[in-house]
Amino acid sequence: MACLPDHKILAYLDDEITSIEQSLIRDHLLICPGCRQKADRYAQLHKILAQPVNSEPPAWLVPQIMKRIYAETPHYTAIAALIAASFIFFVTWIYIYFDFSSSSLIQALRLTSDSTASWLVNIIKTISVIYTFVQAAFKASHAFLSMLLNTLPGTTLVIAFVLTFSGLLLFATKRWLLKKAGAVKK
Amino acid sequence: MIVDEDQVLIKKTLQGEKKAFEELMRKYEKRIFSFVIRMVRNEEVAIDLTQDFFIKIFTVLDKYNFEFKFSTWAYRICYNLVIDHIRKNQSQVNSLDDDSISSKEMLSSENVIRHDGFNNLSQEETRLYIWQMVENIPTKFRELILLRYVQELKYEEIAEITELPVGTIKNRIFKAKEILKKEMEKDGLPA
Ligand SMILES: [Zn+2]
Repeated sequence: MACLPDHKILAYLDDEITSIEQSLIRDHLLICPGCRQKADRYAQLHKILAQPVNSEPPAWLVPQIMKRIYAETPHYTAIAALIAASFIFFVTWIYIYFDFSSSSLIQALRLTSDSTASWLVNIIKTISVIYTFVQAAFKASHAFLSMLLNTLPGTTLVIAFVLTFSGLLLFATKRWLLKKAGAVKK
Repeated sequence: MIVDEDQVLIKKTLQGEKKAFEELMRKYEKRIFSFVIRMVRNEEVAIDLTQDFFIKIFTVLDKYNFEFKFSTWAYRICYNLVIDHIRKNQSQVNSLDDDSISSKEMLSSENVIRHDGFNNLSQEETRLYIWQMVENIPTKFRELILLRYVQELKYEEIAEITELPVGTIKNRIFKAKEILKKEMEKDGLPA
């Protein structure tokens, strides 16, 4: 057998040849010091390549990436809170719009004004004006907050709860007044 | 469908578990960084690219197809990121030029070796020297040596990542080894 070309030696070392060729090459390497030296060098190279000199990334790399990734992404809990807040806001707003405008409240007040102390009327009037104002402010801030998604979902939730609670309080007051007026009428 | 350790971590990450993605990064950071730094030969750039890589992986993680191995998919993204960077900077930065073997480190390492005398090189020194040589062979050979030996990929996986035919890859790796062997002989490293 003639001397081995480099690619044959490499294929032999890589186990990428037929078993017949393999034994032929092995036999040649036994009798030919030149090819054996070449094969030894390639084997040494393989050994070195199989043990790469790994470069250590700086220790702060992973923590920094974590910070960047999770600052840029809103948390699932934050999104859930925002959805809940939006829902509560929506329900409150529908309530207020259809049933609960300050005019309907004042109408209810008028029905009962003869039998209710005037200070109560004034207080409720003031509250309903403030309520309308807060509602508008909340609507604006909500639009802003949903744009920023990530920002203060807790605050949105608190505002929505306050609005719902005070809305229900006003609703109950109106009911109470109407009931009273009905009683007066009877 | 294969469900391996990586895929469990990906599922957890997609469900919002922070620790899972951190674990995934820890598993791959060294190999990715070793690959990137040998390709770009600049630590700062390598750090930036490694960060870009993991952030990219995170943002496209929901597009990962569980029928394929995560590592192949990830290395492909990494490879494209690095090659894009090299292409963009090739005209500006001489040291990244394919055929120029002119880095300072190489010259200084050669000097050190000459002073010490080749035959006194320890195994560890030989290893460091060869890996330094790897950094200085042209990109089209270097990338394949790195994918094969740093990332420990099979030829078929390298073909998927680089979109080169397996035959071309084998041929180039063979040429790269020839170059490295010649360098070993030229510098009289012990056999
Ligand atoms: Zn021979």
